[in-house]
Amino acid sequence: MANKIYDREKSLSLIKSLSLAFGPTGCEEPVVELIEKKLETLSVPFMRDRMGNIIARLRFGDIKVEGRRKIMVSAHMDEVGFMINEVDDKGYFHMDTVGGIDGSVMAGRKVLVGDGKRLTCGVIASTAIHHKKKDERSKAEKLEKLYIDIGATDRESAKQYADIGSFVAFDSEFYTFGKNRSFIKSKALDDRMGCAAMLEVIEALADTDVCGDLDVYFCFTVREEIGLSGALTAANLIRPDLALVLETTAVGDIEGASPEKRVAELGEGVCISLMDRSTIYGRAEIDFVLSLARQEGIALQVKKYVSGGNDAGSIHKSGSGVKTVALSVPTRYLHSPSCVANFEDYLAQRDIVEAIIRKSNEYFSDVTLS
Amino acid sequence: MNIYKELKELCLVPSVSGREEGIRGLIKKKIAPLADEVYIDALGNLIAVKKGSGEGASVMLCAHMDEIGFLTTFIDVDGRIRVSNVGGIGWAAASYSKVVSEKGVKGVIVPEEKVKPNDYSSSNFYIDIGAASKKEAERKVSIGEFFVVTPTVDRLLGKRICGRPLDDRIGCTVLLGIAEELFSAKNDGDIYYVFSVQEEVGCRGSKTAAFAFAPEYSLCFDVTATGDTPGCENMACRVGDGAAIKIKDSSVICHAEIVKKLVSIAEENKIKYQREILTRGGTDTSSMQLSGRGSVAGALSVPTRYIHSGVELCDLGDAEACIALGAAFVKSLSEGNR
Amino acid sequence: MKIREELKNKIISLCSMTSVSGFEGICEDDLVVLIGGGFDEHYKDRVGNHVFVKRCGKANAPRILVDAHYDEIGMMVTEVCDGGFLKFTNIGGIDRAILAASDVVIHGSETFDGVIASTPPHLRQGEEGDLPEIKDMIIDTGMDKEYLLKTAPVGTPVTFRKRYTELLGGQISGASFDNKACAAAAAYGIERAERERLAGDVYLVLSAYEETSHMGGISPAAFDIEPHYAMVVDVNLADCPAAPKRETVTLGEGVSISKSAATDKRLTEATERLCKDKDIAFSIIAAASSTGTNAASLNIIRAGVPVVDVGLPLKNMHTYNEVISLDDALTLRRLIEEFVCSRELAEEFGRTVELFDEEVSYGK
Repeated sequence: MANKIYDREKSLSLIKSLSLAFGPTGCEEPVVELIEKKLETLSVPFMRDRMGNIIARLRFGDIKVEGRRKIMVSAHMDEVGFMINEVDDKGYFHMDTVGGIDGSVMAGRKVLVGDGKRLTCGVIASTAIHHKKKDERSKAEKLEKLYIDIGATDRESAKQYADIGSFVAFDSEFYTFGKNRSFIKSKALDDRMGCAAMLEVIEALADTDVCGDLDVYFCFTVREEIGLSGALTAANLIRPDLALVLETTAVGDIEGASPEKRVAELGEGVCISLMDRSTIYGRAEIDFVLSLARQEGIALQVKKYVSGGNDAGSIHKSGSGVKTVALSVPTRYLHSPSCVANFEDYLAQRDIVEAIIRKSNEYFSDVTLS
Repeated sequence: MNIYKELKELCLVPSVSGREEGIRGLIKKKIAPLADEVYIDALGNLIAVKKGSGEGASVMLCAHMDEIGFLTTFIDVDGRIRVSNVGGIGWAAASYSKVVSEKGVKGVIVPEEKVKPNDYSSSNFYIDIGAASKKEAERKVSIGEFFVVTPTVDRLLGKRICGRPLDDRIGCTVLLGIAEELFSAKNDGDIYYVFSVQEEVGCRGSKTAAFAFAPEYSLCFDVTATGDTPGCENMACRVGDGAAIKIKDSSVICHAEIVKKLVSIAEENKIKYQREILTRGGTDTSSMQLSGRGSVAGALSVPTRYIHSGVELCDLGDAEACIALGAAFVKSLSEGNR
Repeated sequence: MKIREELKNKIISLCSMTSVSGFEGICEDDLVVLIGGGFDEHYKDRVGNHVFVKRCGKANAPRILVDAHYDEIGMMVTEVCDGGFLKFTNIGGIDRAILAASDVVIHGSETFDGVIASTPPHLRQGEEGDLPEIKDMIIDTGMDKEYLLKTAPVGTPVTFRKRYTELLGGQISGASFDNKACAAAAAYGIERAERERLAGDVYLVLSAYEETSHMGGISPAAFDIEPHYAMVVDVNLADCPAAPKRETVTLGEGVSISKSAATDKRLTEATERLCKDKDIAFSIIAAASSTGTNAASLNIIRAGVPVVDVGLPLKNMHTYNEVISLDDALTLRRLIEEFVCSRELAEEFGRTVELFDEEVSYGK
């Protein structure tokens, strides 16, 4: 697989279109449309469950065989954003966060406001520095003080575009930069890169049959960012033998960070987690993935810090328990309008997932022994 | 069963949350002869089933095998090991303790100089294994390996003992004791002895085990805090005053039916008991109560001082009371014993 | 007018019952008598949830779940002291500010009254206005210690004394409207829905353990019922001078419908349309990441349950003098009746979930 030739532009354009789509938690429909369209062109069967997850399935081997193994691969479609909770008489929108957004990345940003069908441009207003007292200048503006300006002049005209309960997402640009233009900058790389990787793995595996007697369920899930976890209900439905969670992980590999707090390095490969705040990952699964990456020449790094949590938390505790692996693309400035990741790490994520599926027979024959 | 010997044997096998292989192997050997079937599930729970005639209420008895500890996350240029806590480490209690890795590498855990106890956290502690360089350290310890505060168990006055990790190897010992008591008794419904994983990080193992077996009743065996030390929080629970029948902790309010039943069984059988309301801390009871279709959930606790330190202290008499009460409760679920 | 009186009586009867979280069993018999009449079946699950079922009479009908928790906040004895005093802890979120000199009832093997002590000024320590912690407060029972040890041992539940009065404009004041006022309105709404009109089999769950257990009490009941879609009804903070406007709804203007990332967008919008069609007064409140109700727990049961979160505006939440508007309660009753009778909702949300062509099994 190391010799594989990639169509870099094709992958980047997929990441671009997915990451720029509007999809704050609870309002993922624009992302859903994109993914469904892509799955249709690949002629892969898929369904929606009650929660709103998209589940696509690839079946390998003899479908009549008893005791076929099931792998669930998941990446979430939603992104952090805001919800409008008041429209004031001047036509400004006030809002609350959906998911965790740092106070320092809100003020002065462009946003899109709406319900997914019709979107309106706006700006998160910020008090001019001239009007701030000295001590106010050193602090991030409080959320209660921030508001969104779409150019409306009064409540009634504003309400024609959005209302209490409408969603807001960052309006950001996608570009590549740095050496070999390998750095990707966009909003919502968390976790649209995972969605893109799944789509590319589906494409790569759709016409092969080298994986043994296996069903692979690719789940594009909703509501990860508020911890409610669409992935949980998908796992309940599928009851997999093994789950692979494709994620991003926040890293601190920047100037000035002390070595033990850098977490991982951009460009050094996809991260495998040992433990985070929601999951302790199984040793057998970690060892299997580590040795597979070595064999296949895929860049993989162990995440060197315990932080965060993701859909693995709810998947591994679902039903009577599920063995789960988290594979994350290290990403800087997560949950901001300008996330930065490395394209090579994305490729490593995609490749390791494909390799795990292809070689899952080896894993399953090992675990049955224990 | 020699309860002290049994407990000590269980305590001396380090097994932090998520890495319970060691203790699981040991308990499996002990429980297998007392049950009809033994499983290990996807998360690593050890489940022993004593089959019933199939017509009575099933019951899950649960104690957690895991203990708190440290996970190696980083080794610096000088060979010092940075760790993350696994479970609720009290950093002040852990400071300047001897530790041992899963592979038996010895070391000490210490805070960086000048950090005040109030600011103690995983980010300013490190483990010193005496390595002279990163290279030397990496030959002994890899990222992802765990350490624990070195386990010890000693007898104190009377039936008091002291050491770690009594939380919750004492519960595991109680569960083994109950299994022995029930071995020759007939039971109508299935009995599930569950030695659960990952309790210390949020009661994860018991949730999936309870889901899989959907027992009608569930009973958790764990330690509880006490109100019998100078300057402690007020709590009507004392070491040596008997099995603590849990009424409430911060994660659960036990089913009133099971509390009532346990109290009346204790009184009938003259088993020393006390009522427990724990205002801080949770147990596997909550996850068993609400997993799947839910169960009628309760808990018996061994009152323990200095929990999560290296010198946890309890009274074996209380553990014996838990065995007697737990076994009597399970027997009461079967026809003819009611 | 008759409906109004009946609903008022139902609310007060239900709210008067003792159902402190974990001790919901105390009111069990009365509860079944009060609610059960309007339903075909009733059962209690292992956790203490009461499920009342009203069947539509058609085979393979969708299962519609309406959830209203019926547990209430309260207190619990933690220690029996000398002199007839009891120490206690809170069950659920209680504001220390309302406790001193409050009237309480102790529900031991006998039921008796007490008063929470208020420390006289000359015995107080600390700054003026400092409130003692709950663990340092005591209940004065006037009984002797032996009696207390026997009848009200550690673990005995305690409630506020409840008294219901009418305020102006059809508002009523009293304890435990959170959430038994909603439970009464839901029961009454479903009871009055004619069987032929029902869009499916209706499961009213009066759920336990909402005020504690991180709102998890509903989970086992929902797991068992496996509903196609659901409505959670709970009280919502009403507008008052001290509260930020964007976190409240106005009392007397109907029910509230929450827009949230944690509830189903389509079902919420469909419920909004239903209100407009049927001329049911409602207002929208944003609850961005969490509604603070059972909705989140219900949502993730099995393969997921589309859920809408509906609220009854309430002032003075978690005190013994909560205030609601009877007009709002009537509106809520009507919304629930229409919700369980809506063909549109059943059409859109009543489908069964399969994993592609396979039947799904969830274990026991």
